[in-house]
Amino acid sequence: MIAWVMYDIQENKPRTKVAKLCKQAGLYRVQKSVFLGTLTAHEKDTLELQIEEEIDEDTDSVYIFPMSKKELRETVLIGQAFDKKLVTDEVRELFY
Amino acid sequence: MQLHINTYGSYLHVKEKMFEIRVPQDGKMKPNHLAAHKIKTIIMATGTALSTDAVKLAIMHNVDIVFVEQYGDPIGRVWHSKLGSTTKIRKEQLAASMNEVGVKWIKYWIMNKLDNQLNFLKDLKKHRSQHHTFIDEKVERLQNLNISIQALEGTRVIEIADTLRGLEGTAGRLYFEALSYLLAKEYRFNGRSNRPAQDAFNAFLNYAYGMLYGKIERTLIIAGLDPYVGFLHRDDYNQLSFVYDFIEPYRIHAESVVFRLFSAKKVNQAHTNIITNGYSLNQEGKQLLVTAFNKYVEEDTIRYRGRNQTRSNALQMDAHTFANSLINPPQEEVL
Repeated sequence: MIAWVMYDIQENKPRTKVAKLCKQAGLYRVQKSVFLGTLTAHEKDTLELQIEEEIDEDTDSVYIFPMSKKELRETVLIGQAFDKKLVTDEVRELFY
Repeated sequence: MQLHINTYGSYLHVKEKMFEIRVPQDGKMKPNHLAAHKIKTIIMATGTALSTDAVKLAIMHNVDIVFVEQYGDPIGRVWHSKLGSTTKIRKEQLAASMNEVGVKWIKYWIMNKLDNQLNFLKDLKKHRSQHHTFIDEKVERLQNLNISIQALEGTRVIEIADTLRGLEGTAGRLYFEALSYLLAKEYRFNGRSNRPAQDAFNAFLNYAYGMLYGKIERTLIIAGLDPYVGFLHRDDYNQLSFVYDFIEPYRIHAESVVFRLFSAKKVNQAHTNIITNGYSLNQEGKQLLVTAFNKYVEEDTIRYRGRNQTRSNALQMDAHTFANSLINPPQEEVL
């Protein structure tokens, strides 16, 4: 599935940690506190549990939104846009 | 996805359990992070560096690291040292390399290769009515060579090896002559050449074969076969190499991709560099070829054994079928 992860976390340390977890899960950073990418159901559950351990549930909020490919195609992007092919795992090769 | 690291001075290491690639840019090292499980293969050209922790992370995630030299030939790979499957397959493979089972298969693969070549020519004929007689003549000669191969008989590969190589070589010459003839004038080439390629077409083809070679090696290991126990071919170091035997029917993938890039006029002078005695593919050329090749092999599907498959999956299935036939010889003749 394609998943959006967005968060609002008060403390620096857990915020940095959550960002790291998202990157390790293979998500791409589209904004400071917004990540997007393709996850399997299993990977989504893992990420959910990992994030739960880091944050303070009384003050912080984290959203994990699944989205269908169809909806992603209809998404409107204005300004600095992310690479749709990259987040849907359609990019097969990267060159450095 | 595949990671191609070509930039001179790049460094691949591990940061926070992810691969970090540092690429020199404007005098600084620009870092890029990638999650380990998103990567399938890392292809590193000469002039790049790698840390042992990156090797460890790759092994843990079943990522293979392939080292390639300038023209795309793989020179080595890092892969966990476990066998893909049971040792019994390797024992039987060794036995087959010295008995009539090997003869049967090597004939099958090479006849398959020739079939692919002549089918490709027939396919090209459809849109080139002005070249009908020329193509028909080549196709007929390839068909005759195939009949000669069919007729070869022996109890060990070594008995028919020389004749087989001769017939295969003649077929190759005819085939590449035809491909060259069917290209636009500025792209034509004079037979196969490598180290270095004498023309842009060969530069592309060598790199594509290199990619295919790496892919076949991986496929064979996964199927539990030994890439070094060959039936017919010897590689540069005078070892028998099975990769060169098994690759034959699949060379057509590389040839179709390269030919289509040229016939669609996608290739221009910006894709190759002129080097001493020949041509070499540059960064831009590699990107064009690698993207087209991966799309053809890993993305586009063909109808295969009743299902829609990528060519890559079909290849893996063939390797498993072959490996299984070694340990469970078919009751009735399937070949």
